[in-house]
Amino acid sequence: MLDFIFDILFYITDWLRTTFLLDFAFWITETSLSLFMVENFWNVPLAQVVHITAIAAAFGSLLMLVLRVNEKAGTSVSVSDTAARYLPWVWYGLLGIVLSGLLMITAEPIRNMVNSVFWIKMALLVVTVLITLAYQKAVAAKALAGGASYQASGGTRKTGVLLIVLWLFIMLAGRWIAYVPV
Amino acid sequence: MMYPEPTNIWESIEYSSLGISIAESLWAFPLIESFHVMALVTVFGTVLIMDLRLLGLASTKVPVTQMSSDTLKWTWIGFVIAAITGTLLFISKASTYMVNPYFLTKMGLMAAAGLNMVIFHFLTYKSVASWDSEKALPTAAKVAGGLSILFWLIIVFCGRAIGFTLGIYY
Repeated sequence: MLDFIFDILFYITDWLRTTFLLDFAFWITETSLSLFMVENFWNVPLAQVVHITAIAAAFGSLLMLVLRVNEKAGTSVSVSDTAARYLPWVWYGLLGIVLSGLLMITAEPIRNMVNSVFWIKMALLVVTVLITLAYQKAVAAKALAGGASYQASGGTRKTGVLLIVLWLFIMLAGRWIAYVPV
Repeated sequence: MMYPEPTNIWESIEYSSLGISIAESLWAFPLIESFHVMALVTVFGTVLIMDLRLLGLASTKVPVTQMSSDTLKWTWIGFVIAAITGTLLFISKASTYMVNPYFLTKMGLMAAAGLNMVIFHFLTYKSVASWDSEKALPTAAKVAGGLSILFWLIIVFCGRAIGFTLGIYY
């Protein structure tokens, strides 16, 4: 089973090698930002520390919001106030994730862009952002209309859990970029 | 594959059947490490939320005891998973980790972060009733929050540094 998955991932990577991404990735390695990132031994690990810290901020905030919406934690605060407290941290956290992620891609463009798991991760990220936008809209509008007695619908609760699971899969993919056969 | 006779306790751990299975497996180390990452961002994220409350920078209308009971459970769930997965990762390369200064620093800082938490919850917390709902907390609480963020940031740095320096020190 695992061999099968690795084979498929390898075939996708092999195909990526035939696309413009290979030349594009090589071009990035010549840019001054890429050279700067690899010049100093600590630049890549430091970008990863920013990446992990931003993930902690965004994921921790999303977790607390979903727990509140699903009435598992923080029920002393209304859903609207909880959303106002945590949603900016999710989005600014995501900004930090994207910026530090771009630095990491620039440092090692071939390892990232010619890598099936990287693109699976990007696809998951786009889906997660879109669902987060829908979730934010649903929670904010209904919580405001419903006031302090607002209780989320079953669908909204399940969407919250789905978002947490998606973030966990994105982290899984993130780590496997480094390990998948390329 | 043959492994040399262990000459110290760390090599005995590394060459145990569990250590060898993790080290030889194609997927075990990356998969355990993935769970380690998921767990540690849960720890760091929820700790950060509590620390910002202690520093008076966020959730200032929520009582400290409330914030603590909302976050602490998830901090502990994350921590237990991070500790178990971390131990498994350690077992697979014990002797390499034990000579790595970033690993040793990380363990020391985890102890410091734990001590910081113990001091806060058992000493500073004694008077919590008098400042529970205040925005600006006593200095001891602020210091605990600030130190916690600092410790965990450096712990994350050391964690990444270990991965980049394995094989340099032995």
